[in-house]
Parts: sequence; C-alpha cells; structure tokens
Amino acid sequence: MAGRLDGKVAVIVGASNPQSMGAATARRFAAEGAQLILAARRADAVAGVAASLDATAQACDITQEDQLAALAQTAIDRHGRLDIAVNYAGVESGGPLLETSADTFRQAAEVHFVGTALFIKQMALAMAQGGSIITASSLTALVQAPDLSAYAASKAGADMLVRVAANELGARNIRVNSIAPGFTESAMTAGWFAMDAVKRAFLKEIPLGRFSTIGDIANAALWLASDEAFITGQVIDITAGQSLRRTPRAEEFV
Amino acid sequence: MARLAGKRALVVGAAGKDNMGQAIARRFLAEGAEVAVAGRKRDVLDAFVAQEGGIAVYCDFSDKGSIDAMVVDTAQRLGGIDIAVNATGWGLLKPFLDTTPEELDAMIALQLRGPFHFLQALIPVMGDQGGGSIIQISSATATIMFHDHDAYMATKAGTDHLVRSVANQFGHLGIRINSISPGVTETPMTAQAAAVPGVLDAFVKGYPLGRYGTPQDIAAACVWLASDECFMTGENLQVNGGLTLRGNPTKADIEASVAAAMARQG
Repeated sequence: MAGRLDGKVAVIVGASNPQSMGAATARRFAAEGAQLILAARRADAVAGVAASLDATAQACDITQEDQLAALAQTAIDRHGRLDIAVNYAGVESGGPLLETSADTFRQAAEVHFVGTALFIKQMALAMAQGGSIITASSLTALVQAPDLSAYAASKAGADMLVRVAANELGARNIRVNSIAPGFTESAMTAGWFAMDAVKRAFLKEIPLGRFSTIGDIANAALWLASDEAFITGQVIDITAGQSLRRTPRAEEFV
Repeated sequence: MARLAGKRALVVGAAGKDNMGQAIARRFLAEGAEVAVAGRKRDVLDAFVAQEGGIAVYCDFSDKGSIDAMVVDTAQRLGGIDIAVNATGWGLLKPFLDTTPEELDAMIALQLRGPFHFLQALIPVMGDQGGGSIIQISSATATIMFHDHDAYMATKAGTDHLVRSVANQFGHLGIRINSISPGVTETPMTAQAAAVPGVLDAFVKGYPLGRYGTPQDIAAACVWLASDECFMTGENLQVNGGLTLRGNPTKADIEASVAAAMARQG
C-alpha cells in the first residue's frame, strides 16, 4: 500500500512525550512512509518515541541556530534530503499581564518567535528540492485569551513570520504554514484536563462539541506535509470552530 | 488507499466539461465515494456519468425549489449525503459603475442565495444522519482585489461569512462547513482570458509558489475537508499557492503584460 509520504524525510521537533502532538505526528508520518528525525531539548527524552518508529533521535534547542543547522544536516547525512519540517516546541507562559515578568515575555518570544524564525531559516536552507515547513500556532493567536499575553502574542507574531517566510520561500518551492490547535488534550495540557470545571467551560465554546486530539493535529500536519496541499502562508485552524467563539475566562471555571 | 470509502457525495457545479466540479467529482470517485454530479446541463452530466460513474442530478442553483429537489433526490438515490460541494460560479467581469440591477440580481441568486438555500436544505438531511462535511468553493478575490469583479467578489465574501455562521450553529450535529478559495485556476471559466498571450504571465507573478492552481489542487483540498480526518469547521482555506500574500495584477498590469507579449510575437 502506497503511503502518502513515501520517499519523504521529515524532521519533527517536540516529540519526546508519547502523548504530545509531535509524537502523534511522528507516528502518523511513519505510518505513511516517511523517514524521521525526531528532536527535543534532550536526546534521551525523545529516544523512546524514536526507537518505536525506527527514527533518529537528536537533541535540539530551537533557540540555538547551530543546533538547528545540525538537526537539518542529520536528515541530509542519514537520508540524503529533507522534505518536511515540523516544529511543536513551546513553552508555557501564562499569567496576568501585570504579574508577568520580563523573563517570561523574553522566554516566550525566544522560543515561539525567534526559535520559529531560526527553525524556518535552517530547515529551508536544507530543503534543496523544495518542501513543507509547519509550525505550531495556537487558538490563542486567533481569539482573546485572558492571562496569556506572552504566549498568545508570541504565537501571533510567529504567524506573521509564517506569511512573510512563505512569500519569500515560494520561489524555492517551499511551503510554510502553521497549525492552530484548539484546547487539545496532550501531555502539555494534562493538568487543565484534570479539572472538570475547565473542560465544561471550554466545551461550551467548541461548535463541534468535542476537544481536539493530538491525532487531529497530526492529520492536519499530514495534509500540509503531503504533495496535496497547494497552500502556503496560512494558519490552519484546527480548533473545531472555537475561533468563531471565545476562550472562557478563569472565573467561569466553576 | 480510498480515503472516502463508503461516503455519499453531492457535487453541484459539475455540468461543464473538465470544470472544477468535475475534477472534484472525479477525485471523489477515485477515493471510493458514491457521487452525484449536479448542474444545469443534463447532457454534460450524463456524459460524465457514462464515462466516470456516479449519478446525474439536475439543478438550477439560482432557484430554491431546484436546490431542494436536488438534495431530496440525491439523498433518496444515494441513501444519504455525507459530503456536499458547491462549485457553481459566474465569473462576471463588469466595471462597478456599469453593473446592472439584472446582473447583480443574477449574481446574488447564484452566489449568495443559492449557497444559503443549499445549506438550508442540507442541514436537516445531514443532521438526521449524524453529520457530514459541506464545502463551499469561494475565491481568493473574496479577500484580495481584482478589477471589474465587484458583484462576484462581494457575493463570495458574503457566503464565506455565512459559512462561519452556519458552521457555528450546527457543529453540534456533527456537520462541518468550510470554504476553499482558489486563485486563478485552469478551468473552462478562465480558459478564454488565459488564452490571450501575456495574461497568465501577469497573474503568475502573484503566486509565491510560481504557478497558478489546477482543478486537481482544489479537488485534493476537498478530499482533506471531506474526510473524517479533518477536524475543521467554519474555516476558509486559501488553496492558491500563496496568492493572497501578494495579490492579483491590476488591469493596467495585465494590459502591459499583454502588450509586451504581443511585441515579442512581432
């Protein structure tokens, strides 16, 4: 059976936890025939997921350009090419604006904005035959998210980066898009999903009536990664319609 | 692998040989769906069905009664409708100040009232059967500029917002509704203009990916939106190679490009 990514080589950053979007995407890509390089800040953390998929594990801090260049080079060294690059690296950076420290703003900007910029740059430089670059945006980059100024604004900045990069990199036949997940049950949100009041408040704001899963995000990444997506510079909204409504406020978590 | 196996699909706007609707229907058939092709020209529909399979259903998309009858007929003959695509359109080019009330009425009937009544007819059918995916073919010009295209652009933009509103209301029934915005696509609708030397040269500069779209690009996006893998609703997908990042050429750009092409030809 032909896979939808047969012959393609993909780098995925942020795939260490088996319940992460990165790991779900890795499983889906592997099932569709792609060869994978999986990365996280610590190589030993991503080794388990990588071993289960016959993938290469590598340490990469996306705020460090030399580590990104080395990551892309690994794809070239191991498989001779790089076609797909997906970035799910993220840092929790919540809190009311008046209580958010300069360090929190800087860290959010460093990972979500600078890191995304360097990721796009270094992956594009390695994509000699064109390719598809995908980065994780957020529902909070699309609609008001109280107490998430650092997170939301750094993600929204990255979305504009995606547009500008797409316009520039089209000539190299490289497509650049982001995926905006809704409130998704994953390793990162497990604490929130443990609270029924939070789930109830969010569910009221989701037209399709269920939370997005890491599998939903992997499906969207697969479409963007395949040769079947004549789309670039876009934010793909996988919020099940929540961007048509709102995010609940903390006082509604009762 | 058949990505739409077991699905029942209705594609309206498929009564033009090799138009976008036919490309979508052809791809749906290849992905294992049962397909009803609909439109105004019965002979074209019959020829498609004879060659490709599926069933033909008559529809004048400007007429509510005809839309209702198409949906009822299709649901009966296929046993339900899981996927419905509206690929009708009228590519009128007319200066804003010269657009007549009759032209505007006809445009509104096809590109705003038609989709409105199409959604009204589909929601009960899909709601009763537990869900479905509806796809509206919009246009990049619903967000970016193009000359002499006001009636077309405004009705496409209006329908995009209708998609959001209806998606928001009926998501709980398992119905997803999205639109796709192609840019210039090689179809019979654009063939005449595209045949003029220099015209497509002017357009292609607006495409970061260096080419304009094909009906197959749109059909591929339809498969994504139609499949159970897609957890999107109320969205507008810009399936146009990045055109909206740049924009269409102005009328003067096109005229200059045509003049340059003619000069090259001597």
